[in-house]
Amino acid sequence: MHKILLLIFTLSLGALAISCTKAEAPTKKLTIAVIPKGTTHEFWKSIHAGSNKAAQELAAQGTQIEVIWKGPLREDDREQQIQVVEGFAAQGVNGIVLAPLDNRALVRPVSDAQRAGVPTVIIDSGLESDEFVSFVATDNRKGGSLAADRMGQLLNGKGKVLLLRYAEGSASTTEREEGFLETMKQKFPEIELVSTDQYAGATRDTAKRASENLLNRFGDEVQGIFTPNESSTAGMLLALQDIGKAGKVSFVGFDSSQTFIDAINANQLHGIVVQNPFNMGYLGVKTMVDSLLGRPVSKKIDTGVMLVTKENMGTPEVQTLLHPPLDQYLK
Amino acid sequence: MVADVKQSRAFFNAGQLQSWLNRLGPVLGLLLVIGIFSILMDTPARFLSPNNLRIVLSQTVIVAIGAIGMTLIIISGGIDLAVGSTIALTGVITALGINGGLPPSVALLTGILVGGLVGVVNGLVITRLKVVPFIATLGMLGVARGVAKWMANQQTVNMPSTWLNELLVMFPNPAWLLVAPGVWIAIVLAVCAAIVLRNTVFGRRVFALGSNEAAARACGIATDRLKVWIYGLAGLLFGLAGVMQMSRLRQGDPTVAAGSELDIIAAVVIGGGSLNGGEGSILGSMIGALIMAFLRNGCQQVGWPNYIQEIIIGAIIVVAVAIDRWRSARS
Repeated sequence: MHKILLLIFTLSLGALAISCTKAEAPTKKLTIAVIPKGTTHEFWKSIHAGSNKAAQELAAQGTQIEVIWKGPLREDDREQQIQVVEGFAAQGVNGIVLAPLDNRALVRPVSDAQRAGVPTVIIDSGLESDEFVSFVATDNRKGGSLAADRMGQLLNGKGKVLLLRYAEGSASTTEREEGFLETMKQKFPEIELVSTDQYAGATRDTAKRASENLLNRFGDEVQGIFTPNESSTAGMLLALQDIGKAGKVSFVGFDSSQTFIDAINANQLHGIVVQNPFNMGYLGVKTMVDSLLGRPVSKKIDTGVMLVTKENMGTPEVQTLLHPPLDQYLK
Repeated sequence: MVADVKQSRAFFNAGQLQSWLNRLGPVLGLLLVIGIFSILMDTPARFLSPNNLRIVLSQTVIVAIGAIGMTLIIISGGIDLAVGSTIALTGVITALGINGGLPPSVALLTGILVGGLVGVVNGLVITRLKVVPFIATLGMLGVARGVAKWMANQQTVNMPSTWLNELLVMFPNPAWLLVAPGVWIAIVLAVCAAIVLRNTVFGRRVFALGSNEAAARACGIATDRLKVWIYGLAGLLFGLAGVMQMSRLRQGDPTVAAGSELDIIAAVVIGGGSLNGGEGSILGSMIGALIMAFLRNGCQQVGWPNYIQEIIIGAIIVVAVAIDRWRSARS
């Protein structure tokens, strides 16, 4: 009896070994999990579309790719995102493309996945680790610096400026804030920064509340406002519109959405620094696959950032950036 | 009426004084908070300005309307943890309704009724399935949030602008309203609820149910039916709070208001409500909601970091209840 069991066990192990070697053959479909920070922002839709585009292109070249899109629904739920990463590592996908919610909290799950044989490409936001394949992201410091240049130009190098930060512990927005402050201090020493230590929080709602409170305190004295991401820009815009101050202060935001484009046309928003999330999703998946197929990949890839204003809005370059072909790749 | 006259004649006897002090306790707390911030602020005039009052009142409306419903539930000896999820769900449904071409008034009504439906389901689960309120509504917290995300297709629901968006603006149109229409709605609802609780048979029964359920049943009150009514009625209010939330954000956001049930319960408790049932007042709960809104607003304008706000609000909840216990032990 025992011998038969042992035989079955050995046979099944052998079968497993064979199926495993089969899985490593390049003809097999590669499964890539793409994990965003959240799914409710329009930004993430573009990343999703970009990763689907990469999958389609690679399929045309003969590498079958399945992209699994799954994230925590709330943008600040680190615990949920950790569980998603752990889930995919346990499930044994071929690779993970991850936008970490936190530059430290996600270090352990990523290195655990690495040990389980699942490599990770980091997109959008940094991770305090080197156990990943590549970091594919916007140069956020440069983005903040672009915003500062625009602000200085709008104010002619004089006046008072308010910075409403996004959230504690988010590496990408912290770099934008630092880039903004650094350039502000270097290039426009006559501009005074009246408030730089308040946070908008994770959602539009918290951002609107924080903006209202700050505007009541500083609204009459500031001439310029900078906010470092989509939700903080949206919240600040709503607050400015509510008190009838939209258009009366120079307002530079970050990221794009239809609301922001309308606000730029209405002269309520005087510039947005726009990343290229579509490209980020595209390059994220492509880099992952390149690495899985044994091609060399560079450790850091810049996906581009640019300032959009009313003046350059009509150019085809900006139009494709603002309106990535979402419908074509998302169904 | 006659009784009232007699009471006011005997105004200065000790028991009366005590009860007045009890009622005024939260009001004194609110004045203390406002006073302290006025001293700390380098621009007290701005903190005490009508505009700041408008901001704080608009920010309080959602918690206040929720707290009216929660006060009913807590007085009856129950609890509802699903408020935040209900707010998200009804906001999403109202936004979807408007997108689907419903007139705003019908969409508003749908949102409120869905809130009521959620409440009735809570009530039925509690009475028919004999699940304690904490667990029943903990379940609903997950279910309602999930349904909201599902219906919203895991995105925020943007919608064309209608008069519903004007419910919580800072500068109302017409201007003689002074504060946002939503603030007036909250005030009218609070007054109605206070009258119902104090002067109607229904109100008396709610108190009786919370003070001693067995005794209430022995007196011939159909306690199960009463509970379903209470949760249903509170649900209607939570639905309205959801519409208000949508109005503030100009979109239906399935991730919004997570954790706001705790703010709402805290408002009721700071205002003198007892989780053992049988105690609580609408006025107290409204003051409780205002205390928290003023704290957030004040901390932000003084320039304190978020963590200080959280510590202070936490401490105030405990102190408020401790004072309450100490007073009732003495009397």
